[in-house]
Amino acid sequence: MSGKASAKVGGGRRAVAAETGLPIDHDSLLPMPESLAELLPGSLPRGTVAVVSGARSLEVSLVAAVTAEGGHVAIVGRPDLGLLAAVEMGADLSRIAVVAHPGADPVEVAAVLMDGMDLVVLGLGGRSVPASRARALVARARQRGCTLLVADGDWQGASTRLEARVSGYEIAGGRDGVPTPGCGRISRVRLAMRARGRSVRPVRAVGG
Amino acid sequence: MDWPAVAAAATIGVAPTMPIAVTLANRVVACSAAARAVGVRRGLRRREAQARCPELHVVAADPARDARHFERVTAAVDELVPRAEVLRPGLSVLPVRGAARYFGSEQAAAEKLVDAVAAAGTECQVGIADQLPTAVFAARPGRIVEPGQDAVFLSGLSIRQLAAEPSLAPADRENLTDLLWRMGIRTVGQFAELPRGDVASRFGADAVTAHRIACGEPGRPPSGRDAEDELDAVMNCDPPIDRVDAAAFAGRSLASVLHRSLLAAGVGCTRLAIHAETTNGQELERVWRCAEPLTEDATADRVRWQLDGWLNRRHQQDRPCAPISVLRLRPVEVVSAEALQLPLWGGLGEEDRLRARRALVRVQGLLGPDAVKVPILSGGRSPIERITFIPLGDEPVPAANPDQPWPGQLPEPSPTVLLDDPVEVLDVDGNPVRVTARGLFTADPVRLEAPGCTGRLSWWAGPWPVDERWWDAAAEARSGRAARAQVLVGSGATARALLLCYRQRRWYLEGAYE
Repeated sequence: MSGKASAKVGGGRRAVAAETGLPIDHDSLLPMPESLAELLPGSLPRGTVAVVSGARSLEVSLVAAVTAEGGHVAIVGRPDLGLLAAVEMGADLSRIAVVAHPGADPVEVAAVLMDGMDLVVLGLGGRSVPASRARALVARARQRGCTLLVADGDWQGASTRLEARVSGYEIAGGRDGVPTPGCGRISRVRLAMRARGRSVRPVRAVGG
Repeated sequence: MDWPAVAAAATIGVAPTMPIAVTLANRVVACSAAARAVGVRRGLRRREAQARCPELHVVAADPARDARHFERVTAAVDELVPRAEVLRPGLSVLPVRGAARYFGSEQAAAEKLVDAVAAAGTECQVGIADQLPTAVFAARPGRIVEPGQDAVFLSGLSIRQLAAEPSLAPADRENLTDLLWRMGIRTVGQFAELPRGDVASRFGADAVTAHRIACGEPGRPPSGRDAEDELDAVMNCDPPIDRVDAAAFAGRSLASVLHRSLLAAGVGCTRLAIHAETTNGQELERVWRCAEPLTEDATADRVRWQLDGWLNRRHQQDRPCAPISVLRLRPVEVVSAEALQLPLWGGLGEEDRLRARRALVRVQGLLGPDAVKVPILSGGRSPIERITFIPLGDEPVPAANPDQPWPGQLPEPSPTVLLDDPVEVLDVDGNPVRVTARGLFTADPVRLEAPGCTGRLSWWAGPWPVDERWWDAAAEARSGRAARAQVLVGSGATARALLLCYRQRRWYLEGAYE
């Protein structure tokens, strides 16, 4: 798992404040996949709302990390998420519940699930949530200590934005390390991740 | 009487005609006919039995083994005459009247039974009489006692016979027969001649039971019908239910009635039958099976879901044609109450689990029972098949066993996005690429055309053929020859790795690695 924090991208004035702010209390942080935890320390406190976009491995690895640590996860409105990939990343399936088709109001379903879950992954299906509604949910998330991961949509006033992009594939079994058509198989997906937000130093990271 | 010996013979793999003795606490409790012929008797010490018959097979008694082997016989009898009652492994009783009428005579029914049991691999003897105990005694010589002749048949038997059958006599019946023997009463007939009052005043309650048997008086016959469903909760709906909200109220009150009776019986319900009758006599029933014993709320939810399902079926003709007038909840399978007692302090993370479950159950209440699903690992070759989704609260049974080897399974990593979209794979001339019967591409794939990701292939691997479930004509969509391939669409930083599947002469985009 190689990675390095590199040039400063995105973020803003607030990020500077976080750097000099209070030390991070580790109990209040959501368990993170190793690749993310090393690179983005403290990017996801419990009880916050984060928007994820880009490559799906990011969500899947977060689900895997939270369930592996004994947390409960609900996945709302993401019928195409590959849970087998989560299992390969170490997820405990018995702690996952899936609401594939949450009906007309996925936000309401997520609000109910926040009562009992440690992490709710909410697929908005391209919709955006009005600011007034978003505020109510952010308050609820903070009160319940449940992290809401919004995917495939926009959430105004989200404290963290995570973005992942596939930066390359490793292909096993090519000739002389060069991928040859007809040979080998995909052995690893390399990701480039970027986090922006109030509590995060603006970092860009590369992980696999 | 010899059933333990027969079952033991089947277990150790010797013929039941060999000398076999079953021992408990060093005493013979059952022996085969061959052993009996050379002088082995019940109650004999093991050493002495072996001395009388050196080639004796000695087996320890095991009631579970006896019952297990007898199940086969009961099933064979049930095929022929339903609702046989088992007195003990090796002895079952059934009401003969219906069978005799059906097969023509009692003799014919008995022959059919002997044949059926022989087909199951065992010999049996049949006795028919007016009373159950008499029939048991008649089965030893294989007699059919004429109607009304019970007492006559019994009068010739030794008094000791009254204590011989453990399922008809309590353990201390032998004291009684011993005493009667020493008093000079040697046959059942002599015992039956004694006045009932004298027997009762001198020998006690068990002697009265024995006396009734000896006289051939009616006792408790085999019932031949289903057990009384005393745990049922029934509600007559007035006015009849035709709306879901009314059904929800009915379900809630019915669930509380059911759970009071379950609580009184000290059991929890894991399989619940919901039964409804409409005003014009249509009957609907559905059994709900749950992994954990149902709570009152869970029961009420299931009643509501089921009635919702019945009242709002998609097609008009499938719906019940009249409102529901009678609603009945029947616990089909119950477990003892300790199975559902929550631990006092809760296990580690138990509270979290319950909290999560409560939230999920609430969503289930909002969206319906099938909306919330729990994934479990299943067997299969494609990434979709390897996860089975079970509605929350149902028994988690995977569609296929994940512990089997499943050759041809795709290696790690699995795609993080699962799709099922038809796509086109083209060769250098723009002709579609197919997979031949030998599992090869017809031409090297060069281009992929799919909504949203059309482009040149910079790399591909495969095809990896699988030939699944060709024997199962019903599962047409998933059966037959298929092949999978990994491709890289585009190159450099914009490349996308995709998993393609070729089945039924078409390519499908099955997943994306991202």
